[in-house]
Amino acid sequence: MDAIQTDAAGPVLSVRGITKRFGGVTALAGVSLELRSGEVHCLAGENGCGKSTLIKIISGVERPDAGEIIMDGETHSRMNATAAITSGVQVIYQDFSLFPNLSVAENIVLTAEVAGRQRFYRARAIRPKAQAIVEELGLDLDLDSEVGELSVADKQLTAICRALVNDARVIIMDEPTTALTHSEVARLFTVVERLRARGVALVFVSHKLEEVLAISQRVTIMRSGRVVTSGLATDFDRRSIAQHMTGAELDETRVVSPLDPDARARLTVSHLDLPGAFHDVSFTVAPGEILGVTGLLGSGRTEIAEAIFGARPAASGDILVDGLPVSIRSIPDAVAAGIGYVPEDRLSQGLFLEKSIADNIIAGSLDRHRNRWRGLDGMRIRSTISRLFASLSIKAPNAEAPVRSLSGGNAQRVVLAKWLATDPKVLLLNGPTVGVDVGSKSQILELLRKAASSGMAIVVISDDAPELVSCCHRVLVVARGRVVDVLEGDAISAESIHERMAA
Amino acid sequence: MSANESPPGAPAPGDGARFNDRVGTVTRDIIGRASANRKTGRMVVALLLAFSIFAIANPRVFLSPLNLQNIGVTAPEIGIIAIAMMLAMLTGGIDLSLVAIANLSAITVVALYSGIAANDPALAESLTLPIIVAGVLVGIGCGMLNGFLVSVVGITPILATLGTMQILNGIAIVTTGGSTLYGAPEGLTAFGRTALGPVPILFVLFIAIAVLMALFLSTTSLGRKIQLEGANPVAARYSGISSRSVLMSTYTLGGALAGIAGVLFLARNPTASADYGASYVLLVIVIAVLGGTNPNGGFASVAGVVLATLTLQIVSSGFTALRLSSYEYAIAQGVILIAVMVLDYVAANRRQRRPAIEAPPDARAASPEPTPATAQRDTEHS
Repeated sequence: MDAIQTDAAGPVLSVRGITKRFGGVTALAGVSLELRSGEVHCLAGENGCGKSTLIKIISGVERPDAGEIIMDGETHSRMNATAAITSGVQVIYQDFSLFPNLSVAENIVLTAEVAGRQRFYRARAIRPKAQAIVEELGLDLDLDSEVGELSVADKQLTAICRALVNDARVIIMDEPTTALTHSEVARLFTVVERLRARGVALVFVSHKLEEVLAISQRVTIMRSGRVVTSGLATDFDRRSIAQHMTGAELDETRVVSPLDPDARARLTVSHLDLPGAFHDVSFTVAPGEILGVTGLLGSGRTEIAEAIFGARPAASGDILVDGLPVSIRSIPDAVAAGIGYVPEDRLSQGLFLEKSIADNIIAGSLDRHRNRWRGLDGMRIRSTISRLFASLSIKAPNAEAPVRSLSGGNAQRVVLAKWLATDPKVLLLNGPTVGVDVGSKSQILELLRKAASSGMAIVVISDDAPELVSCCHRVLVVARGRVVDVLEGDAISAESIHERMAA
Repeated sequence: MSANESPPGAPAPGDGARFNDRVGTVTRDIIGRASANRKTGRMVVALLLAFSIFAIANPRVFLSPLNLQNIGVTAPEIGIIAIAMMLAMLTGGIDLSLVAIANLSAITVVALYSGIAANDPALAESLTLPIIVAGVLVGIGCGMLNGFLVSVVGITPILATLGTMQILNGIAIVTTGGSTLYGAPEGLTAFGRTALGPVPILFVLFIAIAVLMALFLSTTSLGRKIQLEGANPVAARYSGISSRSVLMSTYTLGGALAGIAGVLFLARNPTASADYGASYVLLVIVIAVLGGTNPNGGFASVAGVVLATLTLQIVSSGFTALRLSSYEYAIAQGVILIAVMVLDYVAANRRQRRPAIEAPPDARAASPEPTPATAQRDTEHS
């Protein structure tokens, strides 16, 4: 296969009736998909819908239980990883699988060299090959810099170049934009256009609706291991994609409780500044209020929350809790001031996975559960744990079960319980429903409303517009480290949030 | 269990129900502990096995009161250092300097005592307790140095304590000139010879310290924080736990225990030297791991460590009873360690192959996408 067929005559690769079971769970049930050269095909679906499994089957990592894979008219009942690579299927995973200690040029060429069974490494032969690819794509990549030093976006471009050196005709990208800033996404998209012109068939795996529509020609939406719908991108809009993904009408109904207009602010942040992260950030949160903070990745939204929580303290500015200034130089300072934080990376920052639910719930409030001899008060600890275990309806056989056995939604409830056990005045939550299934999502938002109604001030950092619409009294929009907009009342809608975020 | 399963807002349970809850909680606690202490149970079996093998092989020597008492007298010093090692490993670290600390504390006590006794034996006698306290304080000081290097400077524990081990060993050799010091406090050696009925007082002391440490880990805030710090340092930080103070306290406590072990060296044998117990460094690591300590941190059991100490001491004295050499004992140590690790591995595999029994109804435990999006998602701050 030398000539690449740029006319959309036949698909480069197609899969038919792929079925895959893990134990008793059916991950894929008769999935079919066609990839054409020069097209971006978006594979969308919620977490756990089976899209990752499908990619693994196409790239030969997993073998299907039934169905066939057709590459260049040849039918295979399964792929193996080497065959997939030699026939031109390349997957770019989120971690890019690069060697951080090697140069860009070496990373680009090395796998092809190894696959070509070159026994000796020839430094001189490598550079021109890498150079050719980089120039062809019109990239501004320093071939000699170490990959470990590159930005996420440049690592990704390195991975794309590596795929092309291997004569990729199908490039599958797993969540390619999650870690990129707005301008980096734009740059990626121009590269994608060039790849299309080369006749490469691209698959974008994503659950971000805007991207899906912006870049792809064809969209396939999966839910619970099945293809729900597939068609031209022009036939879909944001709402219809979301509807297919969740299987439910997008719920953007606002449920917010009225606030006491005279109440003194629980949390006041004024002129908070951290060079390189955010600048002159000021806002207040009233008792019972849920404040949304949104912005693109890299806008500074996470840094603001982490500064208030003391994880990366602000360089200047004031933080007041209940009108009293508090000095927050470390996390214990923030906890002492009554500030809690549900971090964005639940698995590594929020939870002790091997420990029990009970140990996790009590982890943040050990010092609050001491008896008069400074030992732990076992009775009170048990009652706190069983109270939160029940009131947050954590689904597990009992509180001694390890957190590792829980689903995303239940694990997030455990993190929430850990902070509710500290009885905080201010609770910051970063991406509280990321990786949580739809049902759990609305329950978690309901838990937040309940916590707020007890007088807590809640700050939700999220890029999930419907979620912000659903529970927030006000929404701050952050861009390039500054608060650029505040949406209130009826001005809060998914459309307005998206508009301001991208502006 | 019923308490946890009652939905929120269910009618308040009556007294009877509350009693049932209490009983339920207690039962669950016991079951939970039993399964958590599977490794401890394993050590009980190993202990009984070792004991019966040697009791049958050479009952005349092995079961003699002298031999049994000898086990009771030698186990405490090793056991206490092993508990200190367990503490360091519980935070995900290690403390190679413990034996060196113990020696330095023993040398301090002997040097102080014999120095004073040379001029005024009566004064030295009356100062026995302060001198012992000084020895333990030396241990605490060394532990604080370790804690400082690990928590404030941020040196990897294995390197920091390797450094202090060399420094402390060096100091010990330089101050003693490499020779053995004689002249432990009379009172201390006399204490070391006493017994509570058939049980040597040193063994009683060991058990008391072990019980205190077990209580410390389970019923104090610091003890729980030590375990959490080891289980996931990042989550500990994000839970408001100051790793600096936790590590500082852990290594200081380890130093204190090593100091006490140094005093016990003297209670058993009234001489101190820089190279005493050189083989203990690796032995206590073996004991700690055998006792169920997870070298990655977060999980350990004092009871397990006590049982592992006794098992290895029984094997050691059993080998002596069978007239086997210390080299063969070293082989046995290695074989026991690897055998137990293999058993663990087999057991863990078998447990994994069993379907997840605790999967909650909505858990997507067997989901084809094992990593929730949170794991890879926002790498925003990198």
